[in-house]
Amino acid sequence: MIKNNYIVILLLSFISVASIAQEAKSDLSLSIGYYNNNNLTHYLVAHAKTKIDGRFQTVPDVSISFYINNDSSKANLLGTATTNDKGEAVLLMPPSAKEEWKKSSKHSFVIVSKASKLYDEAKATADVSRAKLKIDTTDDKKIIVTVQELKDTAWTLAKGVELKVAIKRLDGDLNVNETQTFTTDSTGTITAEFKRDSLPGDANGNLTLIAKVEDNDTYGNLTAEKVVKWGNKFQYVSQFDRRTLFARRGHSPWWLELLAYTIVVSVWGVLIYLIGQIKKIKKLGV
Amino acid sequence: MENLEKQKMVEDLLPQQFGKQGKIWVAFLITLCAIGFIAYCRQLSKGLAVTAMRDYASWGIYISNFVFFVAISLVGSLITAVLRLTNVHWSTPLTRIAEIIAVSAITFASIIIIVDMGRPDRFYNLFLHGRLQSPIVWDVIVITTYFFISILLLYFPLLPDLQIMLKYKDRTSKWMYKLYGMLGSFWKNKPEQFKITDKAINILSITIIPVAFSIHTVTSWLFATTYRPGWDSTNFGAYFISGAFLVGAGGVIVAMYVFRSHYNLKKYITYDHFDKMGKVVVMLALLYLYFNVNEFLVPAFKMKKPEEEHLRGLFTGEFAPIFWFAIFTSMIIPIFILITKKGRRPFPAFIAGILVVIGSWFKRFIIVTPTLLHPFLPMRDVPASYHHYFPTWEEWAICIGSLAGALLVITFFARIFPIIPIHETITETEEHEHDKK
Repeated sequence: MIKNNYIVILLLSFISVASIAQEAKSDLSLSIGYYNNNNLTHYLVAHAKTKIDGRFQTVPDVSISFYINNDSSKANLLGTATTNDKGEAVLLMPPSAKEEWKKSSKHSFVIVSKASKLYDEAKATADVSRAKLKIDTTDDKKIIVTVQELKDTAWTLAKGVELKVAIKRLDGDLNVNETQTFTTDSTGTITAEFKRDSLPGDANGNLTLIAKVEDNDTYGNLTAEKVVKWGNKFQYVSQFDRRTLFARRGHSPWWLELLAYTIVVSVWGVLIYLIGQIKKIKKLGV
Repeated sequence: MENLEKQKMVEDLLPQQFGKQGKIWVAFLITLCAIGFIAYCRQLSKGLAVTAMRDYASWGIYISNFVFFVAISLVGSLITAVLRLTNVHWSTPLTRIAEIIAVSAITFASIIIIVDMGRPDRFYNLFLHGRLQSPIVWDVIVITTYFFISILLLYFPLLPDLQIMLKYKDRTSKWMYKLYGMLGSFWKNKPEQFKITDKAINILSITIIPVAFSIHTVTSWLFATTYRPGWDSTNFGAYFISGAFLVGAGGVIVAMYVFRSHYNLKKYITYDHFDKMGKVVVMLALLYLYFNVNEFLVPAFKMKKPEEEHLRGLFTGEFAPIFWFAIFTSMIIPIFILITKKGRRPFPAFIAGILVVIGSWFKRFIIVTPTLLHPFLPMRDVPASYHHYFPTWEEWAICIGSLAGALLVITFFARIFPIIPIHETITETEEHEHDKK
């Protein structure tokens, strides 16, 4: 009887340990962002995070399914993507979603990651109203950006939208003037003055202007770009033939050549002179 | 000075034939050279793979040996030039010893660097395609220059002695007599000839000092211009030069003792010479110690991360036995031996000299290799052997062979030419007697 009791206790302990182990699964936190670049490229970016030691950390290798409007049917599935080292999964909107996209002015995006050994199932949604940016310039270097929102079937001007106007540079964007952000007026427009004179452009002086709506609750992330000839023409000058200490052979700095050859010629001049003196001693001995 | 006394002096200082010990010594050195040559032939046929040098420790004992040779060669400028220009006369009997050490050392420094190249057939490319900006090219230029200056500094004072030796045909072999004739038959002891020689020696003494400083400064720059823990120092030029003078002076004491004992030159290389050279070594050892303290204390105080591993490796790690051996044998023990008058007697001074030379060789190893084994970026995905360096028998044989070769040059030189300048010694003795009167 006592033996049987021990077995029951052991089994119960095992079950409780197993259930604790199951409970040890972490919560996965998902988020989703909608991006519209230049009114041409639409894509979605999902982020996966989890709390480790009280801090949120990105989670790689999580397979995420992207749906449009709802996740009830396969027909709404846009595709799947796996998170990278930064916990990001990117999905370009497929051409097959075009019809669904055109059907309405507002959409919901749903992302789902299935339960795994480490994480429970997780889900996130984002509601997006279709909108677009338009960027124009005037001859007196003013930039006019208009934000339009699709309402039913008509594009209407959107007021009170916060956006940035900048110049695209190699390592980031440079504001066109001292104003960090602009807000569209009742006409859905902002006007920014270009105050970055003498900025190097490409060989033709081209600069790329960019208008950006970032993380907007209604529209997501929108950008529009325009190339303008407002920069200085940049002529690439090769440094390869410059006379430097790190240059190739025969291209040492003049000062080094002068110094080195002067020393060498002086010292060897003395040695040659002394060899001449040996000849002189020889002559004296004849 | 009476003619008989002069005669005696000349006979004492003329080169002597090898005795039994001399022959054994020469045979021993030739054997070491031959083993080194065999090892080098293996290296030539199989490539540098026969060495323990790999991707990280790409400079091993060949480069340590090179730095050692360059260092010891500096003694030529110290004894011949610095002491001559400062009007120190007691060093006259030591000048030729110092100069032949300089010539043989610089010759083998050049040879060992070619050995390290692995492909000697490509050596000419250094001249054809060398970059003037590279310290390696500066080193080639300055070593060649120093070699020629040392040869001239050896040759000019030898001229009057050659004329003396030509008078002793019966004591020389036929080929040696021919050699003396070829080198100095035109010397007729004319005052004009002396005038030119004296002037030439003075010019050489002045010229050799900056060249000698350059040779070892440039050698130090081979390291200091490379950004690595342990080499990234502005102190390196002075550090190398002080160390070079120390090992050179130690080498001269050893040579003094050997020549004094085996050529019976006690009258010419006296206790006084050992006493003075001993003091010079103490001064140089203290100076070198000072630079060592600078070289290690300053980075150890800051303990920058990349330096930390390197310094710990030296102080308490893998290289600690060699590091402390080098510090104690090349500086601390010799200072304690030579600081007392008794320690500056010939035999203790000889022991101190040996310690300085051996310790200094290992000191060069400590400068060269540990740094290479502690790169800024951690070593990853490399075989375990890449993390350590212990020379192969081929490397040891080649290095020992080169050291034996340098000693062989000195030995043969002393067999052919007077190791103590005869004419200068007679002149100085006469002047000394004249001053007494």
